[in-house]
Amino acid sequence: MFENVQFSSLSDFFAMGGYAFNVWSVYLLFVVFFAINLAVPVIRKKQILREQKRRLVLAQESRVRRETGNDTVL
Amino acid sequence: MKPHRRKRLGIILFIATALSFAVGLTLYALSQNIDLFYTPTQIAAGEVAVGQRIRVGGMVREGSYVAASDSLRVEFDATDFVNNVPIHYEGILPDLFREGQGVVVEGALDANGLFQASRVLAKHDENYMSPEVKAALEASGASPQNHSAMPEQ
Amino acid sequence: MWLWFSKLGSPKWFYELSGKWLPWLIAVMSLLLIIGIVWALLFVPPDYQQGNTIRIMYIHVPFASISLAFFPLMAVAGTITLVWRMKLADMVAKTAAPLGAWFTALALISGSIWGSDIWGTWWIWDGRLTSMLLQFFLLIGVISLRSALEDTEAASKACAVLSIVGCINVFVIKFSVDWWNTLHQPAGSFSLADDAPNPPEVWVPLVVMILAIYCFFAVSLILATRNEILVRERRAQWVEDLACNS
Repeated sequence: MFENVQFSSLSDFFAMGGYAFNVWSVYLLFVVFFAINLAVPVIRKKQILREQKRRLVLAQESRVRRETGNDTVL
Repeated sequence: MKPHRRKRLGIILFIATALSFAVGLTLYALSQNIDLFYTPTQIAAGEVAVGQRIRVGGMVREGSYVAASDSLRVEFDATDFVNNVPIHYEGILPDLFREGQGVVVEGALDANGLFQASRVLAKHDENYMSPEVKAALEASGASPQNHSAMPEQ
Repeated sequence: MWLWFSKLGSPKWFYELSGKWLPWLIAVMSLLLIIGIVWALLFVPPDYQQGNTIRIMYIHVPFASISLAFFPLMAVAGTITLVWRMKLADMVAKTAAPLGAWFTALALISGSIWGSDIWGTWWIWDGRLTSMLLQFFLLIGVISLRSALEDTEAASKACAVLSIVGCINVFVIKFSVDWWNTLHQPAGSFSLADDAPNPPEVWVPLVVMILAIYCFFAVSLILATRNEILVRERRAQWVEDLACNS
């Protein structure tokens, strides 16, 4: 299997036969896009659930306050 | 009219205009000749006026490439295997420029029928293979010809 | 069949099912991607003409090919929205548009980097490149149309119509290299023989990469759609429970 590797050394591999800039910039671009595209929705999901939780807690608190307020009037 | 209705109407008008613009543009493009380049046969048929800036597409004819020793000046023929266009160019050629490969050349015909090029682009074909496969193909005499730069007639 | 159809339209059902599938899909994607990239970078022989730049093809072609799926996908989702008013379909259509713009941009940029050395130019207004750029702008148009309309129902209807019309451009992109003279090469035909143009050593890793990027597309779309569900269904009991337990 390893005799089919097309490069004889690591520096050969990085040089890409003189096309290092083109080949590596495309692969770098892909890796960056791939990472961002998976990380952003995961972070966003946490953010959505956190905001949702805060909203629910606030609603709960105001309901409790209203009920206790009613109690004092009575 | 209520404001929200006016807004909706505006939006619908916007969409209608944009859509008709897009469709109109598409129809215009389809009716026009949006080919990227002329073929040597079209030039031989006199479809192009002298001095008109155009692109020519074809193959670099085998054995036609001549480079000056003291400058970047080169001469070669673009061919579609029916007609040739002699091309003069001074500048750097793309990596893939080779005899027998496709090219697209920008420039204009001069009064002598020479094509004075300002830019040369290489046209690659859709056949990918290793040098070993290429050598084996040539040895067996079944070399695939690049016809992708050729007219379809 | 109808039960299945209406069930699929339920955001809650989709959220739960996709949650079960996602780990498997991510596993398949990672496996294909690792195999594909290692193969493309190390084992694919350099091309007899363009040398190692052929390795760019293993990124460019999968992205270009999946980019063509966005408008048909949005058109199908849009039609379902218009006819059956299925909430889920509109959520998919909404999340697909920005994703499609990114995928199209990546196909354009990777192609441009490839062409800069091989053709000798970054850009040329030929049929293929121009129609692909048009798709990018159409997707930007769909995104801005949705954000411009405050009425979400009107927005989804307008986007559905634009998506259906935009499908025409997919055919233009696909056949541009056959209809007109272009600098872009036509699609290659792959050969099963070892000693022919496009032998298996060239196209098998390409197929692996295409499958990997299709999985990546599916994962991205599902992740974004799940978030959209959480936002739009925030008043639903099951989302509130989910938030409280997070």
